[in-house]
Amino acid sequence: MNPVPPSPPEDPGIKVRPHTYDGIQEYDQRLPNWWLYTLYGTIAFAVIYWFAWQIARIIPSDGESVDAALARVAAAKMAGSIDVTDNTKFWEMSRNPVFVDAGAKTYSSLCSACHLASLRGKSENPAAVGPDLTDTAWIHGGLPAEVYATAAKGVLVKGMPAWEPVLGQKKTAEVVAFILSHHRPDEAATAETPK
Amino acid sequence: MTSGQKTTIEFNDHVVRQFMLAAVLWGAVGMLVGVLIATQLNFWQANLGQSWLSFGRLRPLHTNAVIFAFVGNMMFAGIYYSTQRLVKARLASDFLSALHFWGWQLIIVAAAITLPLGLTRGKEYAELIWPINIAVAVIWVVFGANFFWTLARRHEKSLYVAVWFYIATIVTVAMLYIVNHLSIPTSLLHSYPVFGGVQDGLVQWWYGHNAVAFFLTTPILGIMYYFLPKAAERPVYSYRLSVIHFWSLVFLYIWAGPHHLLNTALPNWLQLLGMTFSLMLWAPSWGGMLNGLLTLRGAWGKLRTDPVIKFFAAGVTFYGMATFEGPLLSIKAVNALGHYTDWIIGHVHAGALGWNGFMAAGMFYWLVPRLWNRPLHSTGLANLHFWLGLVGILLYVAAMWASGITQGLMLNATAENGTILKYPNFIETLNAIRPLMLLRVVGGTLYLGGFLLMAWNIWRSIAGARAVNGTMEVYVEPPAPADRLGLGGTFLNAPVVFSTLGLAAACVWLFTSGWLNLLGLVATILTVLLAIGHFESRGTRWGEWYDRLLINALPFTLLTFLSVVVGGLIQIIPMLTIDRRIQTEDRLAAVYTPLELAGRDIYVREGCYNCHSQMIRTLVPDVMRYGDYSRLGESLWDHPYQWGSKRSGPDLARIGGKYNHAWHYDHLRDPRSISTGSNMPAYTWLLEHATDYAALPAKIRVQRMLGVPFPSWSPAMIDTLARDQAKQIARELREQGRYTDPDREVVALTAYLQSLGKKWEATPR
Repeated sequence: MNPVPPSPPEDPGIKVRPHTYDGIQEYDQRLPNWWLYTLYGTIAFAVIYWFAWQIARIIPSDGESVDAALARVAAAKMAGSIDVTDNTKFWEMSRNPVFVDAGAKTYSSLCSACHLASLRGKSENPAAVGPDLTDTAWIHGGLPAEVYATAAKGVLVKGMPAWEPVLGQKKTAEVVAFILSHHRPDEAATAETPK
Repeated sequence: MTSGQKTTIEFNDHVVRQFMLAAVLWGAVGMLVGVLIATQLNFWQANLGQSWLSFGRLRPLHTNAVIFAFVGNMMFAGIYYSTQRLVKARLASDFLSALHFWGWQLIIVAAAITLPLGLTRGKEYAELIWPINIAVAVIWVVFGANFFWTLARRHEKSLYVAVWFYIATIVTVAMLYIVNHLSIPTSLLHSYPVFGGVQDGLVQWWYGHNAVAFFLTTPILGIMYYFLPKAAERPVYSYRLSVIHFWSLVFLYIWAGPHHLLNTALPNWLQLLGMTFSLMLWAPSWGGMLNGLLTLRGAWGKLRTDPVIKFFAAGVTFYGMATFEGPLLSIKAVNALGHYTDWIIGHVHAGALGWNGFMAAGMFYWLVPRLWNRPLHSTGLANLHFWLGLVGILLYVAAMWASGITQGLMLNATAENGTILKYPNFIETLNAIRPLMLLRVVGGTLYLGGFLLMAWNIWRSIAGARAVNGTMEVYVEPPAPADRLGLGGTFLNAPVVFSTLGLAAACVWLFTSGWLNLLGLVATILTVLLAIGHFESRGTRWGEWYDRLLINALPFTLLTFLSVVVGGLIQIIPMLTIDRRIQTEDRLAAVYTPLELAGRDIYVREGCYNCHSQMIRTLVPDVMRYGDYSRLGESLWDHPYQWGSKRSGPDLARIGGKYNHAWHYDHLRDPRSISTGSNMPAYTWLLEHATDYAALPAKIRVQRMLGVPFPSWSPAMIDTLARDQAKQIARELREQGRYTDPDREVVALTAYLQSLGKKWEATPR
């Protein structure tokens, strides 16, 4: 192994500054071109970018572009929407294992914290946040369309979040199908006052 | 030139040794706390159920310890050692040097006691409470006085580039620190910052970003310019690169602060300035890296044998990497992915461990034999330290890149034709990065292990050794009045005149419209062309003037200060002078109730902002996840602002009313009872401690002084209002099956959380 490679030959064109500081010398080499072009390039970019945003206003503001993007999302949602007032359709979904399994997965990650894994909520543990979803007494209506509306829009004063904006229609419907899979279409639903 | 009288001076190396050893001690403490809190992110139980060991209180201790205690002490050691030799003068005052050292250590001890107790101002890297702020300002002035007094007594007339960077550090940090810490006390231990909402956010990141620039970068560049050529025994690569990159760096850096607030409610013109100036900083930063690395040309052979050169070469390389990553992250589109994630954490650690930590280690290994006149105990151990540190930091940074990008992509991912979030539950994104968070603990532990090896190595080297102070023979020259620039010579010369005209013209172009705008553009181009023409024909005169400037410390300092101050003035003054009520977009915040204010101060005390933001960005995934994007007016009366900078947990800007009180009660008591897999601490002490109602009248009085429109309640009224609301919440909790005394802190915090996103009224846009 070569112990110490020899210093590269000194370029006679490179000046050493006459002054030394505590023995430290300074060359005075030219600035590398690529370095200069990087500097100039970023300055040019800054000028063009400012011009496009602030002076020509070619680019819409952040608020405008996010509002427009959200409108497109809302339009896509409407185009792909299903009829969430059709009780029969929900009962069909609740007997379809694909729908129910998908709903069970969403339920266990998001709903079980309050309504518990058993769906029995306050009936199993009075300290639980959410009410029982397996009994036949319903606080906000037991028709499938009513259950959907409760899950979709939430009951904010009681701490039930609105899930449709988060999950979308399909996943919310799957969760409703999963809940309904614990019920029968012909069972007698009763109104319940919240505990 | 050598006609003067010859004398020998002895340097004050005693204070250098003190600062160096303090840096080793506090560095170890700061990194140990870092490893502990990184562990807590994986195993929340690692806080042992103690409030003073919880993440939100220890993270500020970690950041403050590494920045101000470790790098601070290291910087003072390096500056004092090199400056004495570069200007050929002993430090002006032994008393000021000792006061500087002991004052700084006392501040660190005070910080280490107050931060775990939850005594905080609630702003990142500016958490220390107001009495300590005053002490920091005083000791910094002591440092400045000692430094400039030494310059005044120098025997080397011309200032070397390292000293330029030291000057920039001292004046800029003083300015930043004082402005960002302006606050009005409500008690001996608590205060509110004078700025609120967006103003506070802007001032905070003007400070926060430039704490990185002028506390962690410029002094270390100065240290590089002294110690690296010394160790390599090679001339510095390029003097003119030093000149260009110094002035562009100090001028540009100060403008870049708003890149911490991209895509937020911050007005767009500020976001644009933050982004474009960050990009323009790329080349000036790399100028420093080039001057470091290319100075090593011809000395690369030493890389194999000398641990000092190893550390310097790697440190400068990390500087180059971090200063490339910085501009990259400042691009709005990249920032939309990386902001609030671990990517940012990885970025700062590439700087703090890679650049600061390695430069410190190189400097310490170089200094020890010279300060104690005994060779280093073991070169082999120093090499082992290097490799442990390098593997540690690479593991750390790589893990954080992977973690940040993974979580960013998951948080932004949508499904079903872009109509819903793919991962609506935040916890899924947290659980995805858990292995990477664990890897970071491994990397950090390796780095700490290397650092402890260094401490041991230094200890073995100096134990029993006799400290020696350096000496130098100097020639005392009579002052030469012809060298003085004076006021005219400082300002009336081509470089300064062209820079001033160009900047003024550019500002006209930036901030006006119509024909004035066009005029500004023409004037800017004209000034640049004239300056180029003048430089091409009279370039030597520019150089001669600059040589003269270098022997005039005060004019040099003045020009440096003007270069750094201009960016801050242009960005901040318009935001401070404008009536706050106009700067609201379409929403105006309502003031908090007394109980909510008490809860907010608990939120600040527990350091919730270390993991939760309160700022929904103007980005579709943010809006889909958290609700309508945040408006300026909603945080108008927030002293301090709590927009946050990191999301280890979800954003809380619109958490109010989303869940019921029982949810919050359960979640604060045991987060995992609500959210399986959460790594949030269990805040059991909030269920036990009583809310401090007695402090509320003083707090509301100060808020009124700051312009927050609280009604003029009497102290008794405030007490009644707070207690009544607490009783109401406790009653509602009881109905939901949770039994608590109304005066517990959990009730106040719940009141605050339930108010988030609800306290505003619509105003015309």
